[in-house]
Amino acid sequence: MDRERGTNGNRVFYFATAPQFFPVIVERLGASGIARAGQGWKRVVIEKPFGHDLKSAQALNQSIHAVFTEPQVYRIDHYLGKETVQNVLVFRFANGIFEPIWNRRYVDHIQITVAEDIGIERRGKYYETAGALRDIFQNHLLQLLSIAAMEAPANFDADTVRDEKVKVLKSIHPIDVASDVVRGQYGPGWVGGQQVPGYRQEVNVSPTSATETYVAARIRIDNWRWAETPFYLRTGKRLPSRASEIAIQFKNAPHLPFAKTAIQDLNPNVLVMRIQPHEGASLKIAAKIPGPVMRLRTVNMDFFYGSSFLIESPDAYERLVLDCLLGDPTLFAREDEVERAWGLADTIENGWAAQPPSDFPNYAAGTWGPEAADALIERDRRRWRRP
Amino acid sequence: MSGEHGELTTRTFVDVHAIQDELEQVRWGLHENGEFSEAAEHAAAEARASVLNLIAVVGSERQLTEVSHTLDALSVTNPSRTLILLAQHDRSVGKLEAEVSAQTRTESGHRVTTERVLLHAHGEVAAHLASLVTPLLIPDLPVVLWWPGRPDFDNPLFDDLCELADRLVVDTDEGFEPPDLKRLLEIARREHAGASIGDFNWARLIPWRHLAAQFFDMPGMLAHLAQIHGVAVYHGRDGSTTQARLLGGWIQGRMASIGLEVPVEFRPDDAYEHGVCRFLIYSRGPDGQARFSISHQPGGRLSTEIRVDEQDFVDRTVRLTRRAAEELLAIELTLPGHDVLFEEALAASLR
Repeated sequence: MDRERGTNGNRVFYFATAPQFFPVIVERLGASGIARAGQGWKRVVIEKPFGHDLKSAQALNQSIHAVFTEPQVYRIDHYLGKETVQNVLVFRFANGIFEPIWNRRYVDHIQITVAEDIGIERRGKYYETAGALRDIFQNHLLQLLSIAAMEAPANFDADTVRDEKVKVLKSIHPIDVASDVVRGQYGPGWVGGQQVPGYRQEVNVSPTSATETYVAARIRIDNWRWAETPFYLRTGKRLPSRASEIAIQFKNAPHLPFAKTAIQDLNPNVLVMRIQPHEGASLKIAAKIPGPVMRLRTVNMDFFYGSSFLIESPDAYERLVLDCLLGDPTLFAREDEVERAWGLADTIENGWAAQPPSDFPNYAAGTWGPEAADALIERDRRRWRRP
Repeated sequence: MSGEHGELTTRTFVDVHAIQDELEQVRWGLHENGEFSEAAEHAAAEARASVLNLIAVVGSERQLTEVSHTLDALSVTNPSRTLILLAQHDRSVGKLEAEVSAQTRTESGHRVTTERVLLHAHGEVAAHLASLVTPLLIPDLPVVLWWPGRPDFDNPLFDDLCELADRLVVDTDEGFEPPDLKRLLEIARREHAGASIGDFNWARLIPWRHLAAQFFDMPGMLAHLAQIHGVAVYHGRDGSTTQARLLGGWIQGRMASIGLEVPVEFRPDDAYEHGVCRFLIYSRGPDGQARFSISHQPGGRLSTEIRVDEQDFVDRTVRLTRRAAEELLAIELTLPGHDVLFEEALAASLR
């Protein structure tokens, strides 16, 4: 093959198997010598889930490192391959106007949503052991949080960027599971004009399952940039629409010199980075309704990738596989990043284990999650967005 | 103003993701494979505009045609993502179809292109259409729900759509009874998922309210305002009193704000078929008893008269033009917030 393709002994081992086989495959690759044989580089791409909790993630890292060094390991999270996720970094660090206001002084709070309208499809067996916390929160949501909250890296080197992301995870205030986290499970309902079953009626799911299909959390970051500026994270299955986004909600203007009637329904500025569907960004601003009376209305300034650049964005996986082939691990999770994320997920899981859910299912398919999630944010006099 | 209206594309779907994709393509002018569609060629050079999400609910094909005409006329002044729901609960066979189209309209040389979705449902799914509406709304823009007929308040579709809406626009002249008005007030005042209310019937009262307020702008008349001791509202013989109640509620609510409780009397007038036809305000002042009256005259006019101490003081006549549905809806769309006076009038009318 090397002769035919000119690959010079370079190898990528891509693990897309069931996770329990990862250690075995690594061990066999090591034992066979194929992981080190000949010239050229050897790299390994590992699909999620990378472990089941902190302990298993550490054990997996250990068995991988018995054969591969950390720079050879590419832990893939396809969210990081999406254009808009990378664009958050460009938006923040290549424009002069956003970074000065990207902090507690101007930002009221940030909402990060990964909403799915689909159920668990045919993945009941896997989902029963994972749940929304392990399936989405521990990886996609925390990755988006790190990227939205990180400090400016000194350069775009893989380790410099990942150092900054890890710093965010290290700065997360200890989570009080009882008051800062809400879990949910969907019951039967209607989504997109279709009647759908509840989670417990899905194939390969226990009729008394306590697996969560929804997580919402209030995260505080203890650093100078974000002190007192909460991040509200949520993910769920069978929500009304499919949408992933980071929404930066700015504080209200400090003084409004308009008549009371003009401002009674004025909303604060929101900058939304849409990750899917239809990658893009929009800025919500107030504008005057034409006419003799001072009436204000919220309008959107939109940027949409599809129409702004008339070239198709590469698929997230295409981008990440190419990065791996080129030896750039910037958009892959590092060992300490994954372990930090599992540490947070474990805190939540342990808090939950102490108190099994008594109200599941607690939201109907096609609604925005359990009432407790509304209460979580409304307690702070804020509301979830309609993404 | 000369107008031109055209429909660029129409395609039919049943899957929500397919509808979303088509909407994005129509909205942004992109077609599959990156090629421009016919809509795109027009749209690319034009402003893509939406200032709100507008949901209109109709119950029949005939009503759909009327509503579509009204919405066409509004697309330039209030470009919106428009969802029209044709919900036919009475048909037993389940059916769900969606039609996505781009609408373009030229007014005074400006061309605006907006997108419209018609969701047509029969049977059980008709009651759950909100589940299809939610993913089709543009985030961060207000949601206005226009329900042209009297809503079926007990159908889950009404409650579900009200939860989505920032503003509910109705016409209480469409057979609303006091319990219906009470329901509207509850929606306006509830803390969770409440919506502000717009009412065509209330907007039709604007000239009546203007004239009534103008009485007290006249020299020497302001002193009568705080001395109002009674009001009579005459309405048509068909038995519909909603508009009369709103007008009576308005004056009661306003007077209550300055600590005056004013009794309102409703009387039918056999000479008129429908709606408010006469509005009398009784007061006393330093110069004696006063009566301020506004009367509906044949030929679409309102005449006013002030009588103080048995002496006719001033009278004037103004034109009362019947506003078309698109004008009334346009008024409602520029008032995204709560209409405090309307809610006050509604509450007073129910007391």
